[in-house]
Amino acid sequence: MPTYKDMVQPVRASEAEMRKIHIEPVPDDQKCEKAIQYLDEIRKKYRSFVMAMESCVKCGACAENCHTYLGTKDPRNIPTNRAELIRKIYKRYFTLEGRWFGKLVGAEDISLDVIEEWYSYFYQCSQCRRCAMACPFGIDTCEVTFIGRQILHWLGIVPKLHMGVGAAMEKVGNHTGLPKPGIVDTLEFLSEEIMDEFGVEVNFPVDKPNSDILYIPSSADYLLNPYTLMGAGMYFTYIGANWTIPSTVSEAGNFGLLFDQYFTQRHNVTRLLDAAQNLGIKKIVWGECGHGWRAAKMYIPSLADRPVNWPITHIHDEVAYHIRTNQLKLDPNKVDHPTTLHDPCNYTRACDLQENLRTVIKACVADFREMYPNKERTFCCGGGSAILFDDPEMYQRRIQLSAKKAELVRATGVGKDGNGYLCAPCSICKAQLYPMVEEHELGVEVKGLIDLVGKALVWK
Amino acid sequence: MASINIAGREVELDEDGFMVNPDDWTEDCAKYFSSGEGISELTEDHWKVIHYLRDYYKQFQIAPMIRKLCKETGCSLKYIYELFPSGPAKGSCKLAGLPKPTGCV
Repeated sequence: MPTYKDMVQPVRASEAEMRKIHIEPVPDDQKCEKAIQYLDEIRKKYRSFVMAMESCVKCGACAENCHTYLGTKDPRNIPTNRAELIRKIYKRYFTLEGRWFGKLVGAEDISLDVIEEWYSYFYQCSQCRRCAMACPFGIDTCEVTFIGRQILHWLGIVPKLHMGVGAAMEKVGNHTGLPKPGIVDTLEFLSEEIMDEFGVEVNFPVDKPNSDILYIPSSADYLLNPYTLMGAGMYFTYIGANWTIPSTVSEAGNFGLLFDQYFTQRHNVTRLLDAAQNLGIKKIVWGECGHGWRAAKMYIPSLADRPVNWPITHIHDEVAYHIRTNQLKLDPNKVDHPTTLHDPCNYTRACDLQENLRTVIKACVADFREMYPNKERTFCCGGGSAILFDDPEMYQRRIQLSAKKAELVRATGVGKDGNGYLCAPCSICKAQLYPMVEEHELGVEVKGLIDLVGKALVWK
Repeated sequence: MASINIAGREVELDEDGFMVNPDDWTEDCAKYFSSGEGISELTEDHWKVIHYLRDYYKQFQIAPMIRKLCKETGCSLKYIYELFPSGPAKGSCKLAGLPKPTGCV
């Protein structure tokens, strides 16, 4: 387990692995100089970053709004202090008072120790943006840690988990490394499962030309979340959609957003638009993935390098529309479990999905109980931005990072009799919460939202 | 990356202790990994899961959906956790010499 001067750090990609994602790692004796050069380039480009560097008054409003700080009680995990790890360098090299008065004004020389601090603390931030809501100046620490992680990437410092995902995406078009035969085999298996359990014939067309809808599931659904894929297949079949799943980009996530917003993030977008064009589709519908939907909804046009000719919507928006227009018959009594909803941070603080999530869940579940704070004030699951590290010390961190969420789930009472559902409609949330509901003994099972749609559908 | 000697053969492991090259796998590898995974003895059911994973991987270059693994081997998820305490993805895949699953898993 890697630690560096009492700091926990995720296992990092080797130099050979970094080369697989097109980065030549910077040697240690050049890292400091390069870091300053990249920081200089970035500050000249991003006004939001300069604002974050210049305007914090250390009021502390962010502290109690950060689940990472609440769970770890490590002062460097207070959002303003986390940003300070880069702000002190910014001050030293790019402000007059920092150059003249150094430590007296909180400026510090860059060093390898500082770079190691960045690696430790920027990868404990879930980039959930709850602190941004609390900040009276509107400072978004997520934007700061995005930039910190970007500089680390260019220096050659990336967690092995994120590197592996970037490499798999480029190799086969999804994060888990699923080649087309594996996709087809799993979907055929799920067709049989749907027939066995629900008595309905559902096919999952792969790469079908001239489909109306291109459905982009999260690739984690193929390994871990069968009911999310089954629910999507049942929903599209129910509404009589002409739909398909592309094998070349079977991935709703985009880890580029989380460590490399240049090549890696753009690569996913390029693959998606190529698939849309080649298959002649009319609309792109996104699967259950929080950060991926944020990346798609907000940033596809700016990374596309070409006109984007297709509307891009989220499956929750689609289902909510069909519910509101009475085109889906759902029986909420079919889901006979007390259920609460975890609002994924990216859906509700970046994508305006909060009302449609409720339209859907209330139509699918008889005993629905809100968890508070909710909607845009939701607390992150603790895995946000894919800090799903599982080496022993980082795993212990994940338990701490999910402690706030666990407390809120417990307060809903859905797990009191051990038969509750915790609906967490995002792949990262699911991957984090599957083990965490056990660690915190919450008495609930984790479900996706489309899982519940599939279960509640009433077939003619 | 490290290289270790398992029953007289050099086997390369990654930082998480997973095999770098699944083709180098032998039953001795599974036996070697089992002690680190808190498994005292490999039973018939362990081998059933391991061989299913290996066959599936050979055909599809990926681990199967966990639900499929359970169905095809007749082992419930709970039982798989009893067999492999760190779970199907990280425990049984490691013993079967498959790469560590990546992504949101």
